[in-house]
Amino acid sequence: MIFPSHLIEDAINEFAKLPGVGKKSALRHVLYLLKKDASEVQKFTTAIQRMRNEIKFCIKCNNVSDSDFCNICAGGSRKQDTICVVENIRDLIAIENTQHFNGLYHVLGGLISPLDGIGPDQLFIESLINRVNEGTVSEIIMALSANIEGDTTSYFIQKKLASYNITVSTISRGVAYGGELEFTDEMTLARSIQNRLPMNSITN
Amino acid sequence: MQQSFSFSKPINCIYGANGVGKTNILDAIYYLGFTKSYFAKKDSAVVMHNKQGMYIEGIFDWAEGQSSAIKIIIRENGKKELSENGEDIKQLQQHIGRIPCIMISPDDTVLITEGSEYRRKFIDGILCQIDTTYFSHLIAYNKVLAQRNALLKAWQEPNGQQWDLLAYYNQLLCQHAAYISPKRVAMLAQFIPMVCALYKEISKEPKEIIINLDSKLVNNNLEDLFKQTIQKDIATKRTSCGIHRDDLLLGMSPQESFKDFASQGQRKTLLFALKIAQYQYMKQQLGITPILLLDDVFEKLDANRSIHLLNLITQENCQTFITDTHLDRLEKAFAGWEEKVDFLEIGG
Repeated sequence: MIFPSHLIEDAINEFAKLPGVGKKSALRHVLYLLKKDASEVQKFTTAIQRMRNEIKFCIKCNNVSDSDFCNICAGGSRKQDTICVVENIRDLIAIENTQHFNGLYHVLGGLISPLDGIGPDQLFIESLINRVNEGTVSEIIMALSANIEGDTTSYFIQKKLASYNITVSTISRGVAYGGELEFTDEMTLARSIQNRLPMNSITN
Repeated sequence: MQQSFSFSKPINCIYGANGVGKTNILDAIYYLGFTKSYFAKKDSAVVMHNKQGMYIEGIFDWAEGQSSAIKIIIRENGKKELSENGEDIKQLQQHIGRIPCIMISPDDTVLITEGSEYRRKFIDGILCQIDTTYFSHLIAYNKVLAQRNALLKAWQEPNGQQWDLLAYYNQLLCQHAAYISPKRVAMLAQFIPMVCALYKEISKEPKEIIINLDSKLVNNNLEDLFKQTIQKDIATKRTSCGIHRDDLLLGMSPQESFKDFASQGQRKTLLFALKIAQYQYMKQQLGITPILLLDDVFEKLDANRSIHLLNLITQENCQTFITDTHLDRLEKAFAGWEEKVDFLEIGG
């Protein structure tokens, strides 16, 4: 694409770097901003700049935060003895949105995958062990992806925690809610049958 | 550009000069079964140069009043759409196996002459179509294997964490291999005698050929093998044992392998034996008769072997498509079978 202005082209190139944004949508966004009041656009850029510059990561759980501790760790209303281990902030938000978890989190920042050059040392696993070391934790819930990388990470953490007197659990896996059995893959189905649940735990 | 053909006889001979599109018709049929080309590695290569997309429709009549119309479209954005009788099929995986096809092309002799991966792929291809659980285990095994190899590549001594990870990957590999390995053994116990019998039938050679599965897992436990080879694995930075090292040994005699000692015609005979055994095995296991797609069959086969091969195929009650450059050669080959055979000229 050829653009009449270098300023426009630069802006488009920056937008096109965003995930899921191509040159054409980038052009649309830029032209939209061009039509807006300069003060409006100022607001937009300031918000982005501040987000990047002023954001902090919670000292305790690595969640994004405005201060040293994120609002989940700082507010005392949540169960302090249960930690849900997640891969990233997106997964944390997904679990928060269920409104079915009232404990604390620990964001690992990734999963163990030698193929991608990610070993245990690149992740916030030591800090999780340190939290357990403080002695207030009674249960760790692994909420990681149900794939090889997720399982490896769960296994690794569980091994590290073996000597502590705490419960390590993992979120259950099986037939998706609203899923039809016919279209469920056989590995999932086999696992669902192996780890079947008592009826009343589903109806409640 | 659009063309349509109708094939109603069991045997359909397609003839014409080089480059007119004979193999293309076979590949189109194959594409309807597997949603991918047998020859082209990428979907972009099946769309004609300078064209935006492609469209294949095939109507398969299973029985009186029972037919499926399979449509595959590749759109200009590269998206592939598949439907059966007007109903969209979202997961291409579900469709594979509905229309089993077996392609035999001259390039397939790599199965005999090249490395073990081709033979594993051949065996896995058959098993995956019959057993979807096998397919899932195989995919999972390969993923773990890639992680294990990556771990070995990045190995640094001494680091206790790596031993933990390695132990876990070993455990996963053992789990998947425990499903895959016995399935291969059981399948080959049936499959190998079929291949040997077919080879004899086509070649009429009195000598028995020798085919064996070469796998350390038959007599050993993979867990023990991992223990034995760990130092070697760390040194060479890859996994030296497992189902990914299985091979099929193809021999004319105990000392002579097909790869090093067989003539081109003998190799081609073995290729047909392997592929027709695949056909027979799948028919027996799936209860559906696969479609046979024979590309350039007569190349490098002597007249006797060609006739034995075609006799074999005409006896099987399956729909077969054959391409060749010469009409007279095809007519001569099928003399006496006229009521079963159709001839179609392309580009004439």
